[in-house]
Amino acid sequence: MIEAALYLTGRSLVNATRRRVARLRQPKYLIGLVVGALYFYWFFFRPRRGGGLGAVASPGGEIVAVGLLSTLVLLKWLFGSAETPFTFSLAETQYLFTAPLTRRQVIDFKLLRSQLPLFFSALLSALIFSGGQVSGLRLFRVVGLWLVYSTLQLHYAGASLLWASLTQQGVTGWRRRLGTLLGLALVVALVWWSLRRALPGIVSAFQDGSTQGYAALTSVMHSGPLGVLLWPLEALVAPLVAASPVAFASRLPAALLVLAVHYVWVVRSTLAFEEAAVEHAAKVARRVEAARQGRWGERTIRARQSTGPIRLRLAPTGGPAGAILWKNAVGATRDLRPRTLVLLVALVIAGSMTLASGPLRALDLVAVMLLGLGAIALVLGPLTARCDLRQDFEMLDVLKGYPVHGRDVVRGEVAAPVTLIGLVVWSCLLGAFAATASRPGPELPSLGDRLALLVAALPATAAVLLVLVLVQNAAVLLFPAWVSVGRDRAVGLEATGQRILMTAASLVALLVALVPATIAGGIAGVGAHAVGLSALWAVALGILVASGVVVFEGAMAVSFLGGVFDRIDPAGTGTG
Amino acid sequence: MIEVQGLTKSYGSVAAVCDLSFSVAPGEVLGLVGPNGAGKTTTLRSLAGIVRPGGGTIRVGGHDMERDPVAAKRVLAFMPDEPHLFDYLTVEEHLRFTARLYQVTDVERRLPALLQELELSEKAKALPGELSRGMKQKLVIGCGLLHDPTALLFDEPLTGLDPSGIRRMKQTIRERARQGAAVVLSSHLLHLVEEICTRVLIMQRGRKVALGTIEEILTERPDLRGRSLEDIFLTLTGT
Repeated sequence: MIEAALYLTGRSLVNATRRRVARLRQPKYLIGLVVGALYFYWFFFRPRRGGGLGAVASPGGEIVAVGLLSTLVLLKWLFGSAETPFTFSLAETQYLFTAPLTRRQVIDFKLLRSQLPLFFSALLSALIFSGGQVSGLRLFRVVGLWLVYSTLQLHYAGASLLWASLTQQGVTGWRRRLGTLLGLALVVALVWWSLRRALPGIVSAFQDGSTQGYAALTSVMHSGPLGVLLWPLEALVAPLVAASPVAFASRLPAALLVLAVHYVWVVRSTLAFEEAAVEHAAKVARRVEAARQGRWGERTIRARQSTGPIRLRLAPTGGPAGAILWKNAVGATRDLRPRTLVLLVALVIAGSMTLASGPLRALDLVAVMLLGLGAIALVLGPLTARCDLRQDFEMLDVLKGYPVHGRDVVRGEVAAPVTLIGLVVWSCLLGAFAATASRPGPELPSLGDRLALLVAALPATAAVLLVLVLVQNAAVLLFPAWVSVGRDRAVGLEATGQRILMTAASLVALLVALVPATIAGGIAGVGAHAVGLSALWAVALGILVASGVVVFEGAMAVSFLGGVFDRIDPAGTGTG
Repeated sequence: MIEVQGLTKSYGSVAAVCDLSFSVAPGEVLGLVGPNGAGKTTTLRSLAGIVRPGGGTIRVGGHDMERDPVAAKRVLAFMPDEPHLFDYLTVEEHLRFTARLYQVTDVERRLPALLQELELSEKAKALPGELSRGMKQKLVIGCGLLHDPTALLFDEPLTGLDPSGIRRMKQTIRERARQGAAVVLSSHLLHLVEEICTRVLIMQRGRKVALGTIEEILTERPDLRGRSLEDIFLTLTGT
C-alpha cells in the first residue's frame, strides 16, 4: 500500500513537472515563470532584518505557538462542519474502491497522499516565516511544522467525523453546537481558574522582565490541570520551537505520540462512520420503499435543498444582461448565509467595544474597521470574485448559443462582481458614515464635510471597481490563452507570474482610464470652487464628474468587448 | 426552415467543413452521419451560431445567422452531446434563466408541468453536481424546448439516456417535426437515423458524400440496393 501511494505520488509529481517544463515553450508560461521566479527571488532572497522562524525558539515562541494552535482547534470545534474530511477524486474512487483493499488501507492511502502537499506547505510557511532568509532555514523546523500540519489535519478530520456521527444519531444543529459550547465553556473555565490563581505571580514576573514573565507563564502552562489540558498542544509544538536539532530529537517522541493517537482516532472513527453510513443508507432505502408502497406513516426523507437561504428572484421579463447578472449573483451568493453576515457584524461590534478606551469610542473603531473592510473589498474583490467571464468562459459554447448580443453578455458578466463588491464597499462606507454621524469632533471634519467625502467616495469606488473588473474580463476576451478560466485557479510559479502581470495591467488600465476622468473632474471641481463652492464639496463634485467619465469609458469598453465576444471562436481560444 | 449554402470552416490548415450545402424543410428530420472527424459537430455548432463559418451562408427561420444572429437563435435550439450546465444554478433556476433569455413570459405557470414532464420535480432544487448524466441531458433538452423552437439541432441525442428516456426522446423529435420544426440530428447510431430521419446527409472529411432519402441515395448507387444503412454508410465513406 505504501509503495503504491509513493509510486502514484512520485509519478504524478514527475509527470506534472514534465508537463510544466514542456509548456514553457508557450510564451505565456515562460514569461509567467520568469516574472514569478523574480517575485519569489525578491520575496525569499532579499536581505531582511528580523529573526524569522528562529524567533519561535524564544521564550514567548512556545506560548504564541500553543495559543495559535488552541485558537485553530477552538475555531474548528465552534464553526467546523460535518462534511466528510476525505474527498476522493473520480480516478481514486474508480481505482481504489474497486481494488482488493480494505477501507483502512484506502484511508491510509489517502492520508499518505496528502503528506506531500502538507510538506510543501510546511516548507513554504517556514520560508515565509524565515523572513526570506533561505540560509537561515532549518530542516528540523520544517519537519516540526509538518508534524503540526499533519496532526491538525487529522484533528480536523476527527472532529468532522465525530460531528457526522452525531448527525447520523440525530444530534444536529443547535443541540450539537450546545454540546460543543458546554465542552468549550468547561475548558475556558479550567484555563481561567488556573490562570487566575497564578496571575499575580505572572504579572509580577513580567514587571521584572519579559524573560522572567514568559518563564512564569510557561511554568503555569506546564503544571496543574492546565498542564494536563495543554499537554498535547505543547508536546506537538515542542519540536517546532526547539532551539537545536538535539532538543528537537528529544522532543520528537512526544509529538509523534500525539500524531499517532490522532491517527488511531481518525481511522477508528472513519471505519465506524463507514459502517454507520451503510446502515444509514439501508434505512433510507427502507423508508423510500415504504413510501413507494404507500406506508407514509413511516417518516419520509426530506429532499436535500441545494439552494441557500438567500433567494434572488429573476423577473420573467427584462433585458438579457439582467438575467446574466442574476445568474452570476445567484451563484456567488449561494453559500452565503445570513448568519455569516450577522456574525461578521457582531465581531466588528464586539471587537470595537473591547478595544474602545478613552477618547476612542467603540463607534469610531467600528468606522475604522468598516473603512478597512471596504478598502480590502475594493482592492482584492475584483481579483477574487470571479463570478464573471473568468468563470463563465468555460461555458462559451452555451453563452454563444443564446439569442443575446455580445454587448449584453459582457454587460451582465461585468455587472455581477461590480454589483456584489459594490454593495459590500458601499455598505462599509455608509456604515462608517453612520457610525461617526453623531461624532462632534474636533478630531474629525464637520458632518457636512464628511457628507461631502461620502458623496465623493460612493461614485469614486464604483468607478474604480468598474475599471478593475473590466480589465479582468477584457483580458479573458482579448487574451484568453493568458488567463486561467473556471472556478479552479491555476497554481504554480507561472500562474503567480501571470497574476502579477494581470495586476500590473489592471493598474496601467486604471491610470489610463483616470487621465481623461481626472482632467474632466479637475475642470469641474476648480470651476465649482471658483463660483463659491467650498473646497471639499468642489472636490466631491469633481470626483462625481470624473466617475461619470469613467462610467462612460466603461460603457464604451463594454460595447467594444461585446463585439469581441460576438467574433470570438470557442475553438480558437486555447484557454488554460 | 434551415438553409445552408457553401458552408466552410477551417481550424488552421485543417478544413473541418468544406463547401457544404443543404436545406431542411419544416417537418423534416435530417440525419447527419459520418465517421469521427467528418465535420458533423462543426456543422451543428456553425448552425447554432457558436462558431463563425469561414465562408457560406446559414439561414434559420429566414434569418441570416451572420447578419442577424439574435433573431436566428431565437427560433433555434441546440442540444449538444455533452450536457453543459452552470454548476451553480439549480434545475429550476436553469429553466427560469433560459426562459428570460428567450423571453418566455409564462414560465412560472409552465414550470411545474415542465419539471413533471422531465421527471425532475424531485430535483428542482438540485445543482447539476447532484444530477445523473441522463438527468442533465433531460434538463438541457427541457431548456432547449422551453421556447418552442422551429429549428432543432441534436448532437448524439440518446447518449446517457435510459430506455424510457430514449423512447421519450424519439417521440419528442418526431412530435416536434410533426408540429413543423426543422430538425437536424447527428448520430453514430445508424438504426436511430434509419428509424426517425426523413433524409440523410453523409459526410466525410468535411465534405458531403451523399444527401437524400435512403431511396434517393440508392437510386444514385444501385449497387448498394438491398443493403442496410450501415453497409451503405461504410461503403460510401470507405471506412
